[in-house]
Amino acid sequence: MEQKLTDLALIQNVLNGQTDQYGLLVKRHQRFVFSLALRFAKNREDAEEIAQDCFVKAYKALGTFKQTAKFSTWLYTITYTTAMTFLRKNRLDTTSIHDEETILQLENLTSGFSANAYEKLDSHAFLNIAITQLLPDDAAIITLFYKGEQSLEEIGEVLHMEPNTIKVKLHRARQRLKEKIQYLLKDEVKELL
Amino acid sequence: MNTIEQQLWDYIDGNLDDSSKKAIEEKIESDARIKSLHEELIKLNSVFGELDLDEPSMSFNRNVMENIASSPAPLAMKTKVDTKIIYCIGGFFVISLLALLGYVFYNANFEMPKLDLKVNLDLNLEKYITPTAICAFLFADLVIGLIFLDQFLRKKVAQK
Repeated sequence: MEQKLTDLALIQNVLNGQTDQYGLLVKRHQRFVFSLALRFAKNREDAEEIAQDCFVKAYKALGTFKQTAKFSTWLYTITYTTAMTFLRKNRLDTTSIHDEETILQLENLTSGFSANAYEKLDSHAFLNIAITQLLPDDAAIITLFYKGEQSLEEIGEVLHMEPNTIKVKLHRARQRLKEKIQYLLKDEVKELL
Repeated sequence: MNTIEQQLWDYIDGNLDDSSKKAIEEKIESDARIKSLHEELIKLNSVFGELDLDEPSMSFNRNVMENIASSPAPLAMKTKVDTKIIYCIGGFFVISLLALLGYVFYNANFEMPKLDLKVNLDLNLEKYITPTAICAFLFADLVIGLIFLDQFLRKKVAQK
C-alpha cells in the first residue's frame, strides 16, 4: 500500500519540479478551504472562486512558504486574505436595500428553509444552517477551531489577531451559535443538549 | 470577561493551568448548577464538532490545475543562502578588520614625550581623493541603490 505523503513532502516534490503533486495537496485541503470561503461568501459560486484563487496564489508563492509552520495555517491565512479582498470588492457593488425594487424582491423572496422543510431536517442539519447565520468572523473561528484542527495561536495567525482576542471571540461565537440552534430547534434543543 | 461559562469552556478546551483546573473541578463537584452547565457545554462541544465541511464542485481540482498550468513552476526561495556562506563572508571581514587594526597599531608611535599634545592636523585630503576612490565610492552607492530598488520592487509585486 502506498504511504500517504505529508504536506511538507508534497511541497518539496512540487518545488523539485513534480508540479502534478500539487493536485494531491489541493484534494487534501479543498473541502476545508471551500468551507472557510463559504463562511464569507455565502454562496457556492463565489466561495468556489475564492477557493480556486486561494490555491492558485498558494501555488505561486509556494517557494516562500517557511516550512517551520503548518501548511494548513499558511493556506488558511491566504484563504482569509483572499476572502476579505473579495468581500471588499463586492461591498462596492452592493445596492441599497432601501431601493423600491429591492424591497419588492425581498418581499417575494421565499426562504430556502420553510417550516415544513425544517421539520424534515435533523439536529445535525440545523447546526449547519445555524453556522451560516453567524457573522463571517464568528463562523470562521468556529470552523477553524472545530474542523481545521487549529490552535488559538494558529487561528490568531490566520485572522491576524492576538490569541487572547481569539479566545474571547471563540467564546462569543459559541454563545451565538448556541442561541441560533436554540432558536431553530426551539423545544427540541433539550433533546440535543 | 471571565464568567463561569468562560472558565468552563477554558477547562473543556484544556487551556487552564493546574491550579485553575483544580479550582474549577472543585466548583463543578460542589455546585450542582455549575455541574449541569458543565455537562451542557460538553454536549454542545461535541455537537459543534459534528459540523459538516462543504464539498466544492467535482471539477474544482481540475480547474485549479488548469489555472496553474500556465504559471511557472514554483522554486524554493533563491535568497535562501546557506548560513555557512554567510559566516564565511562575515569571518573574512572580521579578519580583515583585525589585520588592518593590528597593522595600524604595529606602525603607530605611542611615544608621547612630555605629553606634548601638538597634533598635526594638517591633513592633505587631496592625497586621498583620487579618481579611483571617487569611482569606488560611486560604485558602492550604485550597488546600495540597486539593492533598495530591488527590495522596493519586490514589495510592490508581493502587494499585487
